[in-house]
Amino acid sequence: MIPGKYRSVSGRAANNVNCGLHLVIQTSSLPEKNKVEFKLNKDTSSFPGRLLQHDLERNYSSRQGDHINLVSSSLSSFPILQRSSEEKILYSDRLSLERQKLTVCPIINGEDHLRLLNFQHNFITRIQNISNLQKLISLDLYDNQIEEISGLSTLRCLRVLLLGKNRIKKISNLENLKSLDVLDLHGNQITKIENINHLCELRVLNLARNFLSHVDNLNGLDSLTELNLRHNQITFVRDVDNLPCLQHLFLSFNNISSFDSVSCLADSSSLSDITFDGNPIAQESWYKHTVLQNMMQLRQLDMKRITEEERRMASVLAKKEEEKKRESHKQSLLKEKRRLTINNVARQWDLQQQRVANIATNEDRKDSDSPQDPCQIDGSTLSAFPEETGPLDSGLNNALQGLSVIDTYLVEVDGDTLSLYGSGALESLDRNWSVQTAGMITTVSFTFIEFDEIVQVLPKLKIKFPNSLHLKFKETNLVMLQQFNALAQLRRIDQLTIDPQGNPVVNFTLWKYYVLFRLSHFSMQKINGTEVTQNDMIMAERLFGILAHVASSELPQYRLISILGDARKKQFQYLLESKGKKPGIINEENNDSKRLVGENTNRATLNYTTRDFYNEKLEEIKEKKKFCKTYIEDLVKEATEINMKNEALQKLWPQMFIELVRDAVIEIRNKNSYMKLCLQQITDQK
Amino acid sequence: MLSPERLALPDYEYLAQRHVLTYMEDAVCQLLENREDISQYGIARFFTEYFNSVCQGTHILFREFSFVQATPHNRVSFLRAFWRCFRTVGKNGDLLTMKEYHCLLQLLCPDFPLELTQKAARIVLMDDAMDCLMSFSDFLFAFQIQFYYSEFLDSVAAIYEDLLSGKNPNTVIVPTSSSGQHRQRPALGEAGMLEGVEASLFYQCLENLCDRHKYSCPPPALVKEALSNVQRLTFYGFLMALSKHHGINQALGALPDKGDLMHDPAMDEELERLVVRSKLHRTSRQHRAKEPGAFGFQRREKQEALERVSSASVPMPYHYRWEPRE
Repeated sequence: MIPGKYRSVSGRAANNVNCGLHLVIQTSSLPEKNKVEFKLNKDTSSFPGRLLQHDLERNYSSRQGDHINLVSSSLSSFPILQRSSEEKILYSDRLSLERQKLTVCPIINGEDHLRLLNFQHNFITRIQNISNLQKLISLDLYDNQIEEISGLSTLRCLRVLLLGKNRIKKISNLENLKSLDVLDLHGNQITKIENINHLCELRVLNLARNFLSHVDNLNGLDSLTELNLRHNQITFVRDVDNLPCLQHLFLSFNNISSFDSVSCLADSSSLSDITFDGNPIAQESWYKHTVLQNMMQLRQLDMKRITEEERRMASVLAKKEEEKKRESHKQSLLKEKRRLTINNVARQWDLQQQRVANIATNEDRKDSDSPQDPCQIDGSTLSAFPEETGPLDSGLNNALQGLSVIDTYLVEVDGDTLSLYGSGALESLDRNWSVQTAGMITTVSFTFIEFDEIVQVLPKLKIKFPNSLHLKFKETNLVMLQQFNALAQLRRIDQLTIDPQGNPVVNFTLWKYYVLFRLSHFSMQKINGTEVTQNDMIMAERLFGILAHVASSELPQYRLISILGDARKKQFQYLLESKGKKPGIINEENNDSKRLVGENTNRATLNYTTRDFYNEKLEEIKEKKKFCKTYIEDLVKEATEINMKNEALQKLWPQMFIELVRDAVIEIRNKNSYMKLCLQQITDQK
Repeated sequence: MLSPERLALPDYEYLAQRHVLTYMEDAVCQLLENREDISQYGIARFFTEYFNSVCQGTHILFREFSFVQATPHNRVSFLRAFWRCFRTVGKNGDLLTMKEYHCLLQLLCPDFPLELTQKAARIVLMDDAMDCLMSFSDFLFAFQIQFYYSEFLDSVAAIYEDLLSGKNPNTVIVPTSSSGQHRQRPALGEAGMLEGVEASLFYQCLENLCDRHKYSCPPPALVKEALSNVQRLTFYGFLMALSKHHGINQALGALPDKGDLMHDPAMDEELERLVVRSKLHRTSRQHRAKEPGAFGFQRREKQEALERVSSASVPMPYHYRWEPRE
């Protein structure tokens, strides 16, 4: 019936349909151009074929051997084949030497019109002695030990060449077989597809169970309709779009893991049936719809018909994938931009710190021998900001070419966190934030910004982001405990995170306790991630309580007022400076600040003025001091003069007194003249 | 009152010696600065408060460094204030770095210079690794010497260096504040073989200095006592000896003896009260919703201040009175 090997080959596929090849030869005397039909059918073939089937059956039965005589010749090592003449007449065009334990091809004489030759299931190692059979159409060498394709150069009529289950390592020597229709090389050791580009009549090519690792070099096979590549090690497929007639492609049980490696299939308009089962790609979640989406022409996938429903699903899913990819592309672009900006800000920050440090050291070592290079950037002191050098895909690179201007600061809002990088970012607090966005912000993070600059915008922060409860500081140059005093003006802080990087204050033993002490009215819950316990609060109070007591009770009244007044004045000033504020709101805010500043009065005098402000204030006071000095000096001069005069008077007074008395006595000595004098004085007065 | 010595001095000199003018100038300056606030309750009261605070030694709180340094009394008051405020830190047993002590100093005086703290730390650490931790008492006593006698010490440093390099010790040297200590460092390196200078020679120079010096200096007798046990000494050894000397400490009158450094019963009582109050405050705050007080800020604050004024008038154990010193 059907040659066994075809049944078995297809039977190994995990499906129920039996798609064996049915060999039908019409023996109506046709010229060389015999139409040899190969039909895929499940049903029985046409009438004439059935008759022939019978014949074939009989031909290919194991009893065949009875009709053959193999005579070994003494001349050569090859046995010579002889058939009885009745055989020759009955089966003139076919010869079956199946299971004859042949190790070599025998010499076949007098059968030059043979058309079908069967050598199945032998031990033949070389194809020989058949060059004379120039009318051969079908040569079956299935299940032998052939290592090389050779000896076929004269068989120009050959249409079917079955070399399955041999030991062939290379496809070669098929140059003259231009009429080849079926080439079966399954079960061999072939590693490369080659030397078949001239087979333009080839319709079925079976390369299953070989050692192929990739598929290419298929151009020229203009008639190929079926290509069987099952059970190989194929990782990518090329050139399939050069096969204009290919309908069935079997790639089961290979090593294909991505659709890109078989992308040429999408360009093949003739392909209608494909199998990928047993490949890594078939395990992926996106397998089915990707294949369907990319190969709209498919009618069967993995031996199952593709329904309309499936196609629709596929396109929907594919669209979703596309969206996701675009989204992630956008995200990675944004992320890249963000990373670049932050790196830029970090670099600027380092430069700034370097400059400041160099100025400081230069002042210290005015007469040192080795002057510092102010522009020297010591690599080791650069902030350890990780340079994420992941591989950027080309799309990303192209997009980044457009980023000619890299910002010097970055503001980002991520759900409930507002992150500010670089001092330029502080200006963003002036923006018109929507009430909703601003209300959602609970965490504010400052990085690469001087703390002194942050202090100045804290009032704005209080107003614009009333729900900010968690403050984070990193690389903000927090160096003194005093600076924490500035945080007291906020409405409320639940959590405080001071990153050790760039904030030397964290190295102090007492910093946490000081924060808890100074900001006790906030009842903070966490500092740097650790919970604040009752004991911590008590310890803080114990350590610094006296400071608070001294600061409040021992200061004279006027100092208390002046210090507190200063603080409030400053806040008010910031409020006035902010843009777009209506006067009504200002008053409200002022009252608000009045109320809340007085939360914990005994430490309210512990304020922080930034260095610049402080120096400014001192400058202002200089004038007053000068004036006071001169004023006091004048006073002193006056006082000393008066003192001197007083002392002089003290010294001279006795003498003066005596003289006064003496003058008076002398005056009164002569009573008469004195009376006259007095009367004269009285008349003069009138 | 009208003692003969007082009358013997001409006016300016008398005033200068008592630093009266400094305080007068400062008072007037403060008056000018806070004109609006002070005019509320009268100038007389202001002056009363001002000079009261000068007497009590609270006038230097949160003032600029130039004022804190201006008079010996100011310096002593500052030392006292520092001791009182941060005694608890010492009591807790924490060892702090020089930077942290400097931070604490800055809490009381925002522009306190780092060099002074560094110099004080050098005394404690004997010019060794500057990142070492120091105990509160060590630092405080060293700081006292450095801060109170800073000009004197600069001159001493110059003298020491001259002695080391073998120059004539009797020539008068008036160094600038920075160069003295600065030249010190290379010299110490050379003193490897000969450990410091001879004590008696050193003392002679010091005596001359004390006679000539217009800045305050430690009583020569006590200095002699400090130097009596040693043959040779280094600069920092000398300073360390000074800082540890009880007599000098008492002569200054700012800080109690080392043994009593952590004791201040009145303040401890006050502290306990504060701690209790904060405990109650915290728990009550957790219970009740956050609501601002009905009264304005000033009112509440005034009340507290009034309370405090009455308690401040109670004489305290180490109360420093403004008295003429030798």
